[in-house]
Amino acid sequence: MLEWSTATPAIGAAFLASLVEVVEAFTIVLVVATLRGWKPAVLGTGAALATLAAVVVILGPVLDRVPLNILQLVIGVLLLLFGIGWLRKASLRAGGILPLHDEDAIFAKETAELTADIRRQQTSQDWIAGIAAYKAVLLEGLEVIFIVIAVGAGRGLLWPASLGALAACALVLVVGAVAHRPLSKVPENTLKFGVGVMLSAFGVFWAGEGLGVEWPGHDLALFAFAAVFLVAGLMSARMVRQPVIGVAQ
Amino acid sequence: MNILKDVFAELFKMFVSDVRLTAAILGTVLAAAALIDLTRLPPLAGGAALLLGCLAVLVISVLREARRRR
Repeated sequence: MLEWSTATPAIGAAFLASLVEVVEAFTIVLVVATLRGWKPAVLGTGAALATLAAVVVILGPVLDRVPLNILQLVIGVLLLLFGIGWLRKASLRAGGILPLHDEDAIFAKETAELTADIRRQQTSQDWIAGIAAYKAVLLEGLEVIFIVIAVGAGRGLLWPASLGALAACALVLVVGAVAHRPLSKVPENTLKFGVGVMLSAFGVFWAGEGLGVEWPGHDLALFAFAAVFLVAGLMSARMVRQPVIGVAQ
Repeated sequence: MNILKDVFAELFKMFVSDVRLTAAILGTVLAAAALIDLTRLPPLAGGAALLLGCLAVLVISVLREARRRR
């Protein structure tokens, strides 16, 4: 029986984190399609998805053999490294220290780089473009797999978390196919902030459980952790934000 | 081979984007584990140390990076 107090954060975190990753992969695939047509883009994407499927098939049975408390501790620590890293970057962006993520600017930069690559290389231009799509989908896809495993494996929620990730992929594909341009309207910086908060909360939760901590309120503790990480992230952004100095006339 | 190298570099970067941040998080987890395993305190004390430590690491890391970039 699915416990919604546990499943909702897992599905939500997998969906939002995957949304961020898939939007980034989609931008590169779109660069390839724009420069060299859909054939290398689709072939590169398909090959990457096949590689990712192989990774899941190989990793899945291995995960079942790891004792639960060790799995929780390892995943918890990895989530803390990943989640706090994201939250830190998002806080620095919100505080104006780092520039905001701009999908249009990334599209332009990737287009220029791939164009230069294609001009420089002697091999087939479609091959280079296909490899670019393959690499983008593979790298972002590996992050999606990690997030799905991380938020789902500790409580047997791999399927619900996978559904969250698949829903994100489907949404980006549908919107991307309709819009046919980089999805710059997706509030990626806000999403990254939210995902950083959720992954950090999951990290503390799993690492604690792996160490033998019984959290008060059990799974509901996740919401409390998310709330304190949200406050800490917002507070950090506020502390580093420089006041706008008006120019005296 | 280039792709494999890029994949491993990306995976490494996922978890170790900043060596100090990584070390601070690992140190916090080790401290929490030591509190739970080596003292008579209830495990929840270690859990509280883990949560508070991670929050402190986040805030200090943001402030340090902001100072470094100015």
